[in-house]
Amino acid sequence: MNVGLQHYLIVSGLLFSLGLLGVVVRRNLLVIFMGLELMLNAANLSLVAFSRYNANLDGQVMVFFIITVAAAEVAVGLALIVALYRKRQTAHVEDLTTLKL
Amino acid sequence: MNDYSLITLEILAVIVGLGALMVDLWIPASARRALGYGTAAALGCLLAFAAGSLSPQAGLGFHNTFVVDDLARYFKTFFLFGAFVVVLMTVDFAPKIGSGLSEFYALVCFALVGMLFAASANDLVMLFVSLELITVTFYVLNSFQRGRIASLEAGIKYLILGAVASGFMVFGIALVFGSANSTNFGVIASRQAELAHSTVFLTGLLLVLVGLGFKIAAFPFQAWAPDVYQGSPAPATAFLAVGSKAAGFVLLVRLVTQAVPQIAAEWNRLLVVMAAGTIAYGSLCALPQRNLKRLMGYSSIANAGYLLLGVVAMSTSGSTAVLYYLGGYFFTVLAAFTVICAIAEHVEGDDIANLAGLGQRSPFLAAALSIAFVSLAGIPPMVGFFGKVLLLRAVFEGAAAHPSFYLLIAVAVVGVVLSLYYYFGVIRSIYWGANPSSLAPISTSLGTKVALAACIGGIVFLGVAPSSLLKIADQAVQPKSATAAAQHAAAH
Repeated sequence: MNVGLQHYLIVSGLLFSLGLLGVVVRRNLLVIFMGLELMLNAANLSLVAFSRYNANLDGQVMVFFIITVAAAEVAVGLALIVALYRKRQTAHVEDLTTLKL
Repeated sequence: MNDYSLITLEILAVIVGLGALMVDLWIPASARRALGYGTAAALGCLLAFAAGSLSPQAGLGFHNTFVVDDLARYFKTFFLFGAFVVVLMTVDFAPKIGSGLSEFYALVCFALVGMLFAASANDLVMLFVSLELITVTFYVLNSFQRGRIASLEAGIKYLILGAVASGFMVFGIALVFGSANSTNFGVIASRQAELAHSTVFLTGLLLVLVGLGFKIAAFPFQAWAPDVYQGSPAPATAFLAVGSKAAGFVLLVRLVTQAVPQIAAEWNRLLVVMAAGTIAYGSLCALPQRNLKRLMGYSSIANAGYLLLGVVAMSTSGSTAVLYYLGGYFFTVLAAFTVICAIAEHVEGDDIANLAGLGQRSPFLAAALSIAFVSLAGIPPMVGFFGKVLLLRAVFEGAAAHPSFYLLIAVAVVGVVLSLYYYFGVIRSIYWGANPSSLAPISTSLGTKVALAACIGGIVFLGVAPSSLLKIADQAVQPKSATAAAQHAAAH
């Protein structure tokens, strides 16, 4: 079988949907965070695939930016989750109920 | 071609932020107050220069990803003003923040850099990176009071929803890149006709709009705003309310009017639904609010809806109205939050009922807060009134071609009427609130006085003499022949 652009795009779309599903369905902040990373990496995969099949390296440069930003996001995000855990001994979204009407 | 003179302001803002971090190492803890005033003074100098001699020359740079035009300059001035006032109000709020004050000032400067880049973004990569610089900085700023569970919760909610929005946006950029084979606004604009039929491109564009919709807190991506506004430290909320929202709007305006005007015109029904939903949601949910910062959150959603009116109109007068209204919004919201910070030490909690007696405790602060809310409610002669008139007029001009605009105008007018109720609830509490907990006078610091004088001056002056700002805003949205020609050349 010849692997073409659409195969990459289908995989990337699946990864994106799985990531989004994880964010929506799972209740643990760490798992939600993993879902978020999956969404970003799905975009990376399609960028690299487009880049390869359009013979335009701009997409791969964009991937570097996304990886960098994702790393910054994880650094800040995990620090926040640790700070929350210290305060509440929990990392579940059901316990984030201080702010209400 | 890398012309570093284009990014002078950005470089200097980074230096101010790093300087705040460095200077903190050498000064005693007792001089922290001076550090805040020093940072504010540095930003004030930048602001003065940005309006004058340091104003960057118009031009494109960095492989056409960065553009300096009147639109960019207009927003850069307001971003600098916003950061200046936010640093000033932080000085009074400092006891509540506790440790890490210099980091707070530095982060405000770094968020400012993100906004300055966003004002000049001419490429989807630049758009993404500048937005992320703003968003990641705000994750930290929103949860800065580590000891307060509400602040941490606000930070985490902003983190999760913000990251989802950037996930959508990145995927959208990937699809746009795949179909247009470029991320440059100029190239995309020149190939609009063929791209308008590409489903991949349209899907990508829609996902990018989702990301921007999150930033401006537009329906249906507004869910984060009330919680985050309520939980975050007041100066962070203030910067989020003006800076982050304005950055979203400058990108939206640039994308819609310069990159994909034809496609956006076809999508106006979508934008109408978005604007009407945003106004309706913000106004209706604000009605029962008892918490001042949460009320500001809903008010900010409603205001995003009014601003979208100008985007929906898809005309020069619409864009002018967006710019003018945002300018007024900066002064108004910053004035309100400066007062909130100034009374944070003296008034327990953020409940509107706790404002009781403020009229006697500090007539100056009470008057300033009242003027801000009167302007937000859109009462003449304040700036908010004229801004809303301009936005509604812009939509009305386009209504002949699009009957759905009449419905939108009706929703907006109902929203304005509802807003009278909840804004005046605050003013009633200030002057006629029952059972004040204390009647001890509240003294105001010099920084607060300067910030409030600037904001109130702006609100009243722009309301009385709107033409001064209107002329600049109008010039900023005119299609520039020089930039257009450069973009055209870049496209080929």
